[in-house]
Amino acid sequence: MPSHTPFPATSAPAQLDVAERLLALLRDTTTEPRPDDQLEALTLAVAADLPVLLWGEPGIGKTAALTQLAENLDLPLTTVIASVHEPSDFSGLPVVGDDPAEQGVPMAPPDWAVRLVRAGRGLLFLDELSTAPPAVQAALLRLVLERRIGSLRLPSGVRIVAAANPRGSAADGWELSPPLANRFVHLQWTHDHDVVLRGLGGTWPRATLPRLDAGRLPAAVDHARRAVCGLLTTRPALVHRLPSTETRRGGAWPSPRSWDMTIRLLAFAHAAGSSREVLSMLVRGTVGDGPGLELLAALDRMDLPDPEELLADPAGADLPERGDRRQATLDGVVAAVRKRPDRSRWDAAWAVLVRALETGAPDLVVVPATTLAALRQEDWDVPEAIERLAGVVALSRRADLSQERAAARTGDPVGAGR
Amino acid sequence: MSAPTTGNRQAGAQRAGAQRAGALDLDKLFAARLHAARVRPYLATALFALHTVESRQVPTMAVDRHWRCYVSPGFVDRTPVEELAGVWVHEVSHLLRDHHGRGDRVARERGLTGPGERLRMNIAADCEINDDAYGEGLVRPEGALTPEYLGLDPGELMEDYLRQFRLGPLTQELVWLDCGSGADGLEREWDLGPDGAHGLTAQEQDAVRFRVAQGINGRPGSTPAGWRRWAEEAFHPPQPWRELLGAAVRSAASGAGAGEDYSYARPSRRSAALPGAVLPSLRRRPPRVCVVIDTSGSVSDDELGSALLEVAAIARAVGGRSDMVSVVPCDAAARIVHPLCSGEGIPLLGGGGTDLRTGFAKALGTGPRPDVIVVLTDGQTAWPARRPPCRTVVGLFHRNRGSRWSEDDPDYVPDSPPAWARVVTIGSPGAR
Repeated sequence: MPSHTPFPATSAPAQLDVAERLLALLRDTTTEPRPDDQLEALTLAVAADLPVLLWGEPGIGKTAALTQLAENLDLPLTTVIASVHEPSDFSGLPVVGDDPAEQGVPMAPPDWAVRLVRAGRGLLFLDELSTAPPAVQAALLRLVLERRIGSLRLPSGVRIVAAANPRGSAADGWELSPPLANRFVHLQWTHDHDVVLRGLGGTWPRATLPRLDAGRLPAAVDHARRAVCGLLTTRPALVHRLPSTETRRGGAWPSPRSWDMTIRLLAFAHAAGSSREVLSMLVRGTVGDGPGLELLAALDRMDLPDPEELLADPAGADLPERGDRRQATLDGVVAAVRKRPDRSRWDAAWAVLVRALETGAPDLVVVPATTLAALRQEDWDVPEAIERLAGVVALSRRADLSQERAAARTGDPVGAGR
Repeated sequence: MSAPTTGNRQAGAQRAGAQRAGALDLDKLFAARLHAARVRPYLATALFALHTVESRQVPTMAVDRHWRCYVSPGFVDRTPVEELAGVWVHEVSHLLRDHHGRGDRVARERGLTGPGERLRMNIAADCEINDDAYGEGLVRPEGALTPEYLGLDPGELMEDYLRQFRLGPLTQELVWLDCGSGADGLEREWDLGPDGAHGLTAQEQDAVRFRVAQGINGRPGSTPAGWRRWAEEAFHPPQPWRELLGAAVRSAASGAGAGEDYSYARPSRRSAALPGAVLPSLRRRPPRVCVVIDTSGSVSDDELGSALLEVAAIARAVGGRSDMVSVVPCDAAARIVHPLCSGEGIPLLGGGGTDLRTGFAKALGTGPRPDVIVVLTDGQTAWPARRPPCRTVVGLFHRNRGSRWSEDDPDYVPDSPPAWARVVTIGSPGAR
């Protein structure tokens, strides 16, 4: 032992043991179940057997989250840093044998792939995807889509997760080619201040496999297919749209493949009873922000009360609390009457409007009431219910007057703003 | 809501104290909301999504980050309906424009702490909203704060205004100003918080924003410019052009036939260890980059200088040597090709009109053919009719020209260069 050491009494191995104990204490962290949307989204996508791509700044805990996930799902984790590999590591190394003309040239897979296949299950983590050269990315296409490495085929128990740094922080990164980007569910990985604080304090959130409700499976599939097909029927342009602007390159974009992935995710989220937040991350990460938000809006509409049911039982109508959804519901009721107008349905619609007036803000009722009044046919008497909508008429008139005064005031160029 | 800029606000607050017994006049409030929704139909979804909460602690009207709207009964009593309509639009604008989230981000980035800074954020946010929120059927509420009051130019963003003024004598009257945590991110004592009833989740807020943005993008005709810009960028915030240009040039320079990629032309460094296996090797072919610069009068020297430096830096980063980067200044006629290594002093001759076709011809016709052509221009030029035999990246200097709109195609780029070029807009207003 050198003479200048301040601990002359202990020997070096003992010091290392102490260090080891200290490290063990530091490693000793626990987990707690904690609602964590991005972790749930990741777990759900992994459960749905879709390749996930985590986008996040370096050092944000992507690898740590993956380690956690593998531990909780009890899957062995294999990490492959894509950027330090050569294309042949993914497409297989051609090995020239004795008689290539007779036996062909086998493409030998790398050892990690062999081990993964032998284990039959595992979590394959492709790190640093965005800094891999184009030829390596091309080789990865086959791995991600067809699950093939050389002559090996990854068993179905293997799940694939990749990670990439956003273009801004990867100083010399390549961008992801659109075909590769289209095969992934893109999740933005950000750090939640509270989660990090709690984790550094020794307790990390725990990822659990979403509990799929076995009884809801057929309904989940039906729901998912109806939602996507319903949207794409009215918006055919959304079926396939290559990213055309610079800002959206390398990210999610809609194609029949990614819509198919969306159906799978919707069904899984429905069967697992996941929140809208989680669903939003997954859907926007699969088909992109715009189409994803349109799908979510369509889902919102699907969740509104059925106009026919409201017309059947106006007195017991359970209208949404939120103003914009409530107005959409009332518009739906009026549209249903317009589609198949008859006296009793018209009366029932008035009753629904009265019900809306009694349980919520009156200004929402004005437009549906005006539209409904215009649907009246000559031989229909004005129903009693209209009496109770007198307040709505007064409100509408008050707004009219207010608009007139405002018009008079803003007509003056000085007060007209711009 | 912004405060009156004169002392009558304080008098108003005292009057409100005297009226404490009065209940909230919901009919008046909702008539005002109806007025607002009629004159700003594209905001109707957002207006109706707000949940109203009566509160006597709020000076006027305030919003929180969960889309609740706190209303003072006294304020409703003393304010005419048509002004209340303006207040509704003002408050919902704070939420749609995500002022609380942006306020938090700015506070983190610039290290702004304390209630004084949050007041400044509220003022800056009010300036962003009020410069084009009123008029066309909507009365500017009494004393609404405008950028002009602070001596600032209209049409800028909260982040920009925040740099341009300090709290001082001019803002003395504004300490009353309080649009709630929805405007500046600072929790108030009246806030019901995330667990309170009727709040909107982040996803629901996004859905409302999306519907409003769609409404504006679909019918942009009469919408004020500020809202149009918001709708355009609501879900696609502009990225810094340096990164985009870098990614475009890097991708163009590294494609097949140029740059760093695998090749079987030379044995791999792993070959010695694996006899019998045929391996590709990593090989670098430095890309030749030719920068065509539009030197017509419409592009400023500053813009050109910064963009040129950027391209040179990227070309170096992808492995190009400086003698592989050449520059063609071009106005109506392309002059001479300069190698970049001949020093910084490339004479950017020109002025007047532009015809980039001569620039392309020059770039392709001189010496070894470039792998990548980077064009820096403001786009007011003729383009070659056919795709040139190399990758093309266009750095387009942003100009505020009357842009056309298309309802079905959110990817629509006005007056765009040809489709075979990758286009990066340089110096667009929101890009910081």
